[in-house]
Amino acid sequence: MTIRPTEVPARATARPAGVFRRAWIHRADYLYVLPAIVVMLIVIAYPVYYTIELSFYNTPPSLQLRDKIFVGFDNYAIILGSDVFWQVTLNTFIWTIVSTGCAYILGLGCALCLHRAFPGRAVMRAILIIPWVISAVAAAYIWKWIYHSNFGVIGALLVELGFAGRPPNFIDSVNSVLPSLIVVNVWREFPFAMIMLAAGLQTVPDQLLRAAKVDGAGAWHSFWHVTFPHLRGVSIATILLLAVANFNSFIVTWIMTGGGPANASHIWITHIYEIAFGRQRWGIAAAYSVILFLIVMSLGYFYVRGLGGAEKEGGAS
Amino acid sequence: MAHVVLKNLIKTYGGYNAVNDVSLTINDGEFVALVGPSGCGKTTTLNLVAGLTSLTSGEILIGERLVNDVDPKNRDIAMVFQNYALYPQKTVYANLAFPLQMRKLPRDEIDRKVKQAAQMLDMTHLLERKPRELSGGQQQRVALGRALVRDPAVFLMDEPLSNLDAKLRVQMRSEIKRFHQDLKATIIYVTHDQLEAVTMADKLAVMSGGNLQQYDSPAKVFANPVNMFVASFIGSPAMSLVPLTASTVDGRAVLAGAEGWTLALSPLNARKVQRATSSKVVLGARHSTIKLTTSAVPGAIPAKAYTVEPTGDVTFVQAMLSGAIVNISVPPDVAVEADQPIWLAFDQDRMHLFDGATELALKAD
Repeated sequence: MTIRPTEVPARATARPAGVFRRAWIHRADYLYVLPAIVVMLIVIAYPVYYTIELSFYNTPPSLQLRDKIFVGFDNYAIILGSDVFWQVTLNTFIWTIVSTGCAYILGLGCALCLHRAFPGRAVMRAILIIPWVISAVAAAYIWKWIYHSNFGVIGALLVELGFAGRPPNFIDSVNSVLPSLIVVNVWREFPFAMIMLAAGLQTVPDQLLRAAKVDGAGAWHSFWHVTFPHLRGVSIATILLLAVANFNSFIVTWIMTGGGPANASHIWITHIYEIAFGRQRWGIAAAYSVILFLIVMSLGYFYVRGLGGAEKEGGAS
Repeated sequence: MAHVVLKNLIKTYGGYNAVNDVSLTINDGEFVALVGPSGCGKTTTLNLVAGLTSLTSGEILIGERLVNDVDPKNRDIAMVFQNYALYPQKTVYANLAFPLQMRKLPRDEIDRKVKQAAQMLDMTHLLERKPRELSGGQQQRVALGRALVRDPAVFLMDEPLSNLDAKLRVQMRSEIKRFHQDLKATIIYVTHDQLEAVTMADKLAVMSGGNLQQYDSPAKVFANPVNMFVASFIGSPAMSLVPLTASTVDGRAVLAGAEGWTLALSPLNARKVQRATSSKVVLGARHSTIKLTTSAVPGAIPAKAYTVEPTGDVTFVQAMLSGAIVNISVPPDVAVEADQPIWLAFDQDRMHLFDGATELALKAD
């Protein structure tokens, strides 16, 4: 590692007092962005504030929020003390990590396959994008039927082919519901990863691949030593976007199972939605949201820091 | 090291012959430059030798081995690319080690070879750096080192200096030349820069339109270009080519210019002109073989200075002759101005004559 001596004095000069003085010098600039700041305050800052406030109250019997009952940190204590919270959190992490990982790997595989020219490539690419462009609600209903224990295609096929005596319960069983939903989610998301990585593959310098070929690298080594490092930047961005989308997933789970059976497929958002709009427990839901917000923000913080590091490493394209 | 034989190489892209029946023999330890303008097929020829492009027909032998169907990695070649093609995320050390790792050499042997190559190219202090922390010249040296560690039978270099600035290019030119002398390496070097080719190579293979035009030592290519293309491509400034008409005046062979003047030919040149397929003959003359005078001299041709370009130690004068521009070099103390009448005397022993129809050099026998 080389130490850049300019970095240290640069940090030392950025004292807090200087920040305010500089802000005052540039006060006109803030005026220009004021309309945008006002809009942001209304649509983001206020809801965030209101959610935090609500998390310290309970819903009154009248369901009128003006009568809400202050309970301090009780809501947080209830959530952190409940088994369901830990189960849903575990579900969410499994859901996010497995979905993101599988969508990324599948997307990468498809991008690599579509990268080389073959007859019908354009048609193939169009077909592979379909899961991503069709409505999530429609896809969820279609998959609900595909998985159906009496009328589902997969169950019928397994029986016909002799793999099962009777159609398995994909989404009605506690053990198989989460993996089954993850399959649907991966199916919906992998085209996104494919498009991102296909774009990244276009930028891999041909000369570098030819150099690797002359240097004795086969297909795997060319991929591992040239292509994959080159995709580092686009991979990090893709994984970040997928992970954020998966932490915030709602449609597929809610439509296909509503979180059941026995909370086995509940993830954070569906659970919060159910608490808030199913059971009218606004305070608990708000406290839940605050906890989720803190978790995702801290994950995001480390991730963005990692992203910055990767760009400095020169891996980003 | 090994010799390389190319036999009747043809590479066709959609009906177009990018490389058209090229045959070359490159001796062991020889530095051969494939030189020609963009799109002449020189890089394609190099890629055929490397195995990065598949042959349409022909044979490639490296050493005694026919390598037509051998993978690039098994051809015992190393390649240096125009954009260096260093692995950006690897350190210099890892870049040098990569081809050896791919050959599954023992770790200590890799270490020894990498350090040896680094020492030879004077870049031991750069081993821990990443390519982006290096200058263009250093990157090119690493690329050279990566070829060197392999100890290949043949080095293939694809315009390795064209991304460097002019000063660095001259410096790296002598480094590569030294590299060749020290290693006695067989090198095939592609360039569009004729000066680079002439200064570095033992032999030039001048290409145009997918065809090999001439294959000989730089001195011979310079002195005896086989056709008008080679004549105009090799040498700087380019050889002046003046289209003239062959005729006879009082029984003596002469060349007549469009302006009405005639140039009497020596017996040898007259015999050459007799062999032309038509009366159209092109006179070729290098700038240093034309004598310029500012007053009429017997046998000299009247012309008018078109532009005058002083470069310091020599002044180039351009004159229009028979519709073509003729380049003449004069000492800087000769005072010539644009539009001034001048007289040009051609050196009969050093002039070139080409058939106006076939563009081939005319020979006396």
